[in-house]
Amino acid sequence: MNYEMEDTQNSAPGSLPPAQAAKLGAPRRAADAQSTTKRLQTELMQLMTSSAPGISAFPSADGNLLSWTATIEGPDDTPYAGLTFKLSFAFPSNYPYAPPTVLFKTPIYHPNVDFSGRICLDILKDKWTAAYNIQTVLLSLQSLLGEPNNASPLNGEAAELWDKDAVEFKRKVLSRHRDIDDE
Amino acid sequence: MAEHDLEVQEALARDFQPAMEGPLVGEKRSSHAIAEEYAKADPIYVAKTAALPQKYSHYRPILGDGNCGWRATGFSYFETLLALRDAARLEEEIARLTSLNNLITTVGGVEEWLFEDMVAETISLLRDLVTTMQSSPDAAEQLLLQRFNNPEVSNAIVYHLRMLASAWLKGNAAIYQDFIHGDLGVEGYCKEWLDAPNQEIDHLGIMLLIDVLLKPVGFAVEIIYLDRSAGSQVNSHMFQDEEDGVPTNPGSPIIHLLYRPSHYDILYQDRSASLPLQQPVDDVVRSSDIQVNRATDFTKHQIVQGSTTTLNDFSNLDMNSLLSIPGFCPPPTPSHLGFPAQYTSIEPSYTGSQLSASISPVSPARSPGDVSNLSVSAGFPSQQTANLISPTLPPQHPAQNAFPPSNTQIPIHGHGPRLHPISPSLPAHPSLSPHAPDPSSPSSASSFRPSKYEWEAAADWQEPVVFQTSTFKNSHYNTAHYNNPNFQPEEWNPESEEAESSRGRKRST
Repeated sequence: MNYEMEDTQNSAPGSLPPAQAAKLGAPRRAADAQSTTKRLQTELMQLMTSSAPGISAFPSADGNLLSWTATIEGPDDTPYAGLTFKLSFAFPSNYPYAPPTVLFKTPIYHPNVDFSGRICLDILKDKWTAAYNIQTVLLSLQSLLGEPNNASPLNGEAAELWDKDAVEFKRKVLSRHRDIDDE
Repeated sequence: MAEHDLEVQEALARDFQPAMEGPLVGEKRSSHAIAEEYAKADPIYVAKTAALPQKYSHYRPILGDGNCGWRATGFSYFETLLALRDAARLEEEIARLTSLNNLITTVGGVEEWLFEDMVAETISLLRDLVTTMQSSPDAAEQLLLQRFNNPEVSNAIVYHLRMLASAWLKGNAAIYQDFIHGDLGVEGYCKEWLDAPNQEIDHLGIMLLIDVLLKPVGFAVEIIYLDRSAGSQVNSHMFQDEEDGVPTNPGSPIIHLLYRPSHYDILYQDRSASLPLQQPVDDVVRSSDIQVNRATDFTKHQIVQGSTTTLNDFSNLDMNSLLSIPGFCPPPTPSHLGFPAQYTSIEPSYTGSQLSASISPVSPARSPGDVSNLSVSAGFPSQQTANLISPTLPPQHPAQNAFPPSNTQIPIHGHGPRLHPISPSLPAHPSLSPHAPDPSSPSSASSFRPSKYEWEAAADWQEPVVFQTSTFKNSHYNTAHYNNPNFQPEEWNPESEEAESSRGRKRST
């Protein structure tokens, strides 16, 4: 944590030597947390008051607002119907100007998710915008379950099966799925 | 230009690496630093950057983090507003930007809770500037710099600007959609180029930002392109409200942005930053001081560069400072890229004699009401006065476009011979001045707005009358032969001797 930086912010206007001004430009970690925290608190309020069906999210129990756990329910009419998936959200200190890191904690068989739970979704990478939020990410992931992007698969076998053999795909989904307890 | 030439140029220009560490918004410094930076580059850059400090005395480096164009424009917006020293203006902007939230929610389609924190930073900076400014303008400037160097605040403001531009595009898609390359569409463009947090600003982005943020508050933006295109002068492009190519708000503050491929910094034409040889008597004299200051810079430049300065640079420099002398007008050149001639870079090839021929000090004397004497060429220079002043007006002194014409001749005669290589010929051409339209009040020159028709007439006036040929020197039209520089041989006749002798600044009829 860069305490010097916070000192600089609290100093009187007009007393900013160039050397410290230079430090202000350096990437910060924890010092960004104030607006990030505020934003995440607002998101929590929004999720609690107007939650979309089939998704939920909550900060992790350890009181760190930069780490959340979320769940999505598999949409009907997809191989994932009736299944529930847990995810983890890790927010960077400059959220929402950078996307959260989202992982599937529940093992999932899906063309755009690898076996460690890493997700290939453009809005979590270069297509991120600060207007996205936890809810929009969860809704995007929910729709990804029903409409995988088979052009850039992380799991090539799943992408192939999705097109060729729906029954075998469904079998793989169910065999891989395993409810996990809260860790 | 062949396509692969462009590619080659782009590749070479990419060698420039904007600073990746350091402050988000740097301290203002002499623009000679840019020339030094390029001292070992290829000749095109050397020539262009060597000429740069003569027109733009200072620059402010912006961190190249993908947001430089947004941050430079945003910072300049606040800085220019602050320079107006007008609390009411800042309050207006608070109201305007707050009301634009509605645009972001309804047209932009972003729920308010997602961006209200960002807008809050913009508004709180404006509010704090209002309060700080009243006690100490310097502290307000420091506050601005400090906030913009706090990534939390700075990035929030920058993202607010992105959302404004994005919503503005969605609300005015018909105007801008032809600027969108490929098949992105408006939505796709917004997502890819505007809403992505670290995506550098492209041309359309700058246009949108200027249109939504700067034009409504009356600021013009000049973008100076430092690239490898041919020529010894940087190209520049002026963005401002115009009607048929004529700026509708000629006295507006101008923000100067230096563009190097994929990077923006801020440039300044700073009048206030120099000291020696100050003769601040009135506004007009101050504008003449520009020459003094530029000349000082020039000397420094010689020291730094050691060898590369030429007389061409110097004459170019003089041209620019002369633009701020009321009544002075360079010969109109054909429009460059569709923009009024006075905004194009002035080629160093103009000779002093051409310059002096077109100088027309606004005569303090009331001219006779004889309208038939008003030829187009005589009317043009003085009518351009207000316009010509505006591009070089320091943003710090917005009110000074009201140069009173009544003192014009004093500084020209007083400073010219000493400071100005071409000025010895200045007194030798006053034949135009009595024809100048009668300024009904001292401030009429500043409030004048040329109509497009007069502009066109002026644009046809391609060839300045060159009085400095040897034939002219011997001619009886050469007023250097007469003791009274205002004497008009072609006007004079013995019968009106009585009336003529009373002509002068004390004339009251």
